[in-house]
Amino acid sequence: MSAARADFDEAEGALRLHGDWDARAESALADLGRRRVRILDGAGITRLDTNGAWLLLNAARPQAADPVPELRAFAPQHRAMIELVERHWDVTAAQPGPRREGVFEVAGRGALVLWGHLIGLFDFVGRLVIELAALIARPGSWRWMEFGAQMRAVFVGAIPIVAAMQFLLGVVFAYLLGSQAQQYGASIFVVDGLLLAILREVSPVIVAVLVAGRTGAAITAQIGTMKVTEEIDAITTLGLSALAVLVVPRIVALLIALPLLVFIGDIAGIAGGMLVTKAQLDISYAMFLDRTAEVLLLKTLLVGLGKAPVFAIFIGLIACRMGLSVTRDARSVGAHTTSTVVQSLVAIIILNAIFAVTFVKLDI
Amino acid sequence: MDAPVIDVRDVSIALGGHQIHRGLSVSVARGEVVALIGGSGTGKSVLLREIVGLLKPQAGHIELFGQSVWDATPAQMQALRQRFGVLFQDGALFSSLSVEDNVATPLFEHTDLPRATCRRLARLKLALAGLPPDAAGKQPSQLSGGMRKRVALARALALDPELVFLDEPTSGLDPISARAFDTLIRFLADSLGLTVFLVTHDLDTLFSIIDRVIVLADGRVLGSGSVAELRHIDDPWLQDYFAARAPEGTHGN
Repeated sequence: MSAARADFDEAEGALRLHGDWDARAESALADLGRRRVRILDGAGITRLDTNGAWLLLNAARPQAADPVPELRAFAPQHRAMIELVERHWDVTAAQPGPRREGVFEVAGRGALVLWGHLIGLFDFVGRLVIELAALIARPGSWRWMEFGAQMRAVFVGAIPIVAAMQFLLGVVFAYLLGSQAQQYGASIFVVDGLLLAILREVSPVIVAVLVAGRTGAAITAQIGTMKVTEEIDAITTLGLSALAVLVVPRIVALLIALPLLVFIGDIAGIAGGMLVTKAQLDISYAMFLDRTAEVLLLKTLLVGLGKAPVFAIFIGLIACRMGLSVTRDARSVGAHTTSTVVQSLVAIIILNAIFAVTFVKLDI
Repeated sequence: MDAPVIDVRDVSIALGGHQIHRGLSVSVARGEVVALIGGSGTGKSVLLREIVGLLKPQAGHIELFGQSVWDATPAQMQALRQRFGVLFQDGALFSSLSVEDNVATPLFEHTDLPRATCRRLARLKLALAGLPPDAAGKQPSQLSGGMRKRVALARALALDPELVFLDEPTSGLDPISARAFDTLIRFLADSLGLTVFLVTHDLDTLFSIIDRVIVLADGRVLGSGSVAELRHIDDPWLQDYFAARAPEGTHGN
């Protein structure tokens, strides 16, 4: 092993080469500058591989139009190596870097993707409705096992995190409301505010966000991986419908689980609030519950619970559709999972805003 | 003659309570194209993983280029890795990179060449592996199985290693692509002076491009030599194996 070395002979325009010529030999050519190489002298080469041969040819022919240098005193195997690289010279021509996209191009492409998502969602809903109609016609084909497994994953598994998060949010809300109301001697109204906030807005939205991140992402990753490993194709060729086997049980499980989780979140949030109002404002548990019975309207609870199924359908539709549109590579699974969470969150916020405006207009 | 490029001595390994290799020894000389055959579960891929440093044998000694694989320091191992390339069974291309960048990755990581030069060298490797110029800009997911194998071969050859390991290079390819791939391997072995160590089930590969065949059975080397020599070994699996193809090769496999 000896390091590559190149001596330039000005008189002949010859480059005398010594040592091992491989991908690490480039530095030996660094001080060649712009001098024209007419002859390559290979007498001193101890080893030459394709990377080294390419570097030599590139040094002698910086432009594709430059003449091929004369090879002198090359060992036969080294000459053959140069000739092998020479044959494929054209494909290695320098290429312009990737074109940069302008603002309008990026915006246009983004808009098309968004439009594609919207159309895709409509198409997916249509196919799902057909599937559901078939399922209603033949209730025997309902997949109880898959549905049970999904309920366990979506509902039972989510109870601890939902309860913990809502409990802490109840604590924070009661504390902030309490510290304001206390100044006006209006402590008891903390209960009114807490109930309204937790039941009507916080619980449905926060629980939906948690489920979108937890279950939505899991659904996309799972169905997407099944797509990559051709399990979806196997299901189809066995004469089953991927929609009936995979999608319907998941969406129905979400539809049932989310309102139940919101209700658990309601109770946990109120419990957190009760703890704080007792410690901070001296409102006993009995007083809290009395006040609750006095001011809580059934519709407040129902409005909160009523939003949950709508959120559930959107989370399920987005997650399943994104899973089924995964292409066969690892990056696609990651990209689609991210997209599911983003789309679900956006959908939840938009739907919640629509609900808020509608309920105000309807005076609910 | 030089010291052997691959020298495996008395290697033993048990996986999941099952003894795979019992004192197995293999040696490959520089410039040889050697095939490893054996029934399913005889530990062909395991041996390959032991040699390239992915799976540690419980006993025995493995040397590449005279350097012990399992006693090497991390720096020595890193230097050793640049002297061999591996073609994994399914190509194992990086799905987040373009074809060109897949091949250029070893050059990016192990040389000081500018990135543009690395990409131009990558296109040279792709051309040597028989891919059309327009393949360079594609994503791995856009390629057929045969083309993915060629890209993987180009990546294995990126640093011009002296030794390449090929795990079932022709599996999953149609017979025409498989023969073209065989021819390519032989061409590259001859023109680049490569030592090739491949695991295969493909009889046509054995008959066409291999210098020497090594047969594994019962955790040991059952035989080693040309196809003609191995035919005379009295072993039921080996007899069945060669019987799967007519002697003249008239009806393919």
